[in-house]
Amino acid sequence: MSRLIDIGLEQLSRLLFKMGDLAEKTVLLSLDSYMEGLEVQESVRIWSETLVALSEQVEEKAIELIARFQPVASDLRTIESYAKIAYDLSRYGRYAWDITFIHKRLNVSSGDCMFPSLPIRELNEKVKNIVHISIEAVKKNDVCLAKKIGEIENEVDAVYYECLDKLAEQDRITTKCLVTNLLFVRHLERIADHASYIGESITYLVTGERVSLRGQMSNES
Amino acid sequence: MSYKIEIEDLNAWFVNNHVLRDINMKIRQNAVTAIIGPSGCGKTTLIRCLNRMHELVPGARVSGRVLLDEEDVYSNGIDPVTVRRRIGMVFQKPNPFPMMSVYDNVAAGLKLNGMKDKHKLDETVEKSLNLAHLWDEVKGELNKSGASLSGGQQQRLCIARALAIEPEVILMDEPCSALDPSATAKIEKLIRDLGKDYTVVIVTHNMQQAARVSDFTAFLYLGELIEYADTRSIFENPQNKLTENYITGKFG
Amino acid sequence: MNDYMVRKIKDRIMVSLAYLALIVALIPLVSILTETMLRGAPAINLSFLTERIPPLGQPGGGIGPAIQGTLIVVGIASMIGVPIGLFSGIYLAEFRETKLASAARFLTDVSTNMPSIVIGIFGWALIVTAIGWSVIAGAFALAIMMIPIVTRTTEEAIKLVPVTIREAALALGVPRWKTTITVVLSSAKKGIATGILLSIARIAGETAPLLLTILGSRFWFGGFTEPTAGLPLAIFNFSQSPYSTIDWPRAWGASMVLIFMILGINVVVRYFTREKYG
Repeated sequence: MSRLIDIGLEQLSRLLFKMGDLAEKTVLLSLDSYMEGLEVQESVRIWSETLVALSEQVEEKAIELIARFQPVASDLRTIESYAKIAYDLSRYGRYAWDITFIHKRLNVSSGDCMFPSLPIRELNEKVKNIVHISIEAVKKNDVCLAKKIGEIENEVDAVYYECLDKLAEQDRITTKCLVTNLLFVRHLERIADHASYIGESITYLVTGERVSLRGQMSNES
Repeated sequence: MSYKIEIEDLNAWFVNNHVLRDINMKIRQNAVTAIIGPSGCGKTTLIRCLNRMHELVPGARVSGRVLLDEEDVYSNGIDPVTVRRRIGMVFQKPNPFPMMSVYDNVAAGLKLNGMKDKHKLDETVEKSLNLAHLWDEVKGELNKSGASLSGGQQQRLCIARALAIEPEVILMDEPCSALDPSATAKIEKLIRDLGKDYTVVIVTHNMQQAARVSDFTAFLYLGELIEYADTRSIFENPQNKLTENYITGKFG
Repeated sequence: MNDYMVRKIKDRIMVSLAYLALIVALIPLVSILTETMLRGAPAINLSFLTERIPPLGQPGGGIGPAIQGTLIVVGIASMIGVPIGLFSGIYLAEFRETKLASAARFLTDVSTNMPSIVIGIFGWALIVTAIGWSVIAGAFALAIMMIPIVTRTTEEAIKLVPVTIREAALALGVPRWKTTITVVLSSAKKGIATGILLSIARIAGETAPLLLTILGSRFWFGGFTEPTAGLPLAIFNFSQSPYSTIDWPRAWGASMVLIFMILGINVVVRYFTREKYG
């Protein structure tokens, strides 16, 4: 039996999935361009602003559904989770945009500050992966994927700390390059964090339990 | 934290119709417990079994135990009349005695059970009307006919009447379904307040009301108790799929 | 528009026919009332109402004893009939489903339609043959007529009390018998009172039972085991009398008194059961 609220929920999830695709696209473009040294600020900026606007739409829709339908149980959890996830997706866009600015602001070009021992590529790939899985988890309401997010997030953290260590060890690095690399890995780590928040929201939506997918690693330096 | 009423293996029939099946539940003292479920699921029958009103219908039968303070109300020596003095009931449609004034309505339970002390009656009437949040509205006109009040006031009058005999438990069968929203809101507030000093069991088909008013919620379906937990859990994360489908409106 | 006009005409014809039928139905009633009043009014005066008939064939005097007789016989019949009918009605209403109740209900319905002359004979056979023509016999016969009516109207009045009222009292821990006697009965009292008054009006006008039980008399009440006068009997006797010029006006006068008594009871019932506003 279809209910009145189903129409609204349908609209809400369509909005969210649209956001998800756009967010993934934005992150991918930003990360790849950073590594390749491409100039993509304009596109990424527009997409990021779109994501912010979409997240506001999602929030408004969520409030409207709550006011009109007094949802309970899974409906309520869905609406709350979607509102949270929309914010996380808009953060993807925001960090993607911040990353496109790094080279420009600091007047550095891509190849300048790379050095082999810094596992930036690895970090980059992991974050692209975690973002992709987070969008899949949202579309499929998949708790297993959410758990996977947690695992990858741990790996991201490990590589992130490795990068920090490596950067700290470097004594022949310019300040500019230091700042460039720091900002980049820091933004990547934050993107991964938001991916884990998304995983937690999906877990709550499906099971009703609030879990923490972060910090499950035994050793953190 | 104790249980005022413990229901054990309760079954009820209307002639051959098996209306309640193996109900087991413990009702917390001084709390509001809501019973929800689709029409015909047995919720009204359930509360009528608690104050032994179900058996008044010809062809009705009950088996199992209902323990009030650990004493089975269905055991052989117990007079149902005494049970009903400890467990009061408020009905769906307000039913004040039409021939009686407001005062007489509230005092009816006491007078009919033999109390004659005018002073004590006056005291009890005022106290009960206060408890029912009705005193201020009727205090100058206690001699007006009970039927001259508005629907919401009449229902509060019935609540005062039930409170006057000083029951320990108050059963309410969809008490707001015949009332408009503002009268309903007043009674819901009243129910919440009563829950502090009385054990209240309320049957309602309005899930939002159950969510607003109760501490614990029981979901009945086709005569069986499907799920019973604190209200927050039931409405945020029900464990049973049937419960989830009912409260989200997928059926019923 | 043709259809519409045809329908309008049909409608008018039907309404007129119904109206005519009503008038025709009312004619007998209205003519009885007017005729009685026209012919009876001249005979009515204070002495007519309060004195007994003088010895054979003389003018003057009146139906005083007849009025008194009717009041006494009807009064005693009520004292017997009302309580029995009331409690029977309560039983039937409270124990609706039992076999006894169903049988009783059937018999009661039959009794309400029993020919009054048969009841008269019954009273005669039972009481008059034992103790003679008497007030008691008359009261007995009238009570038998009254009981089924009171029983049924009481039962119906109680059935009309909403079950919610009953449940409200039971839920307060009031025992069932007490609920019936206090709450239910007081809710039904209008209906019950109506039933009782109407049954009194009914038996006040019955002639056949009186014919075979109280015999009639020209004298005032002389004792419960003695015959006595009654209004219906007086009317009958006056109308059969050869002294038509004296007695027939008396018959009309007595008729008028009887009609007014019964009308009076009906008006009182109407008054007390009118819809009150507010």
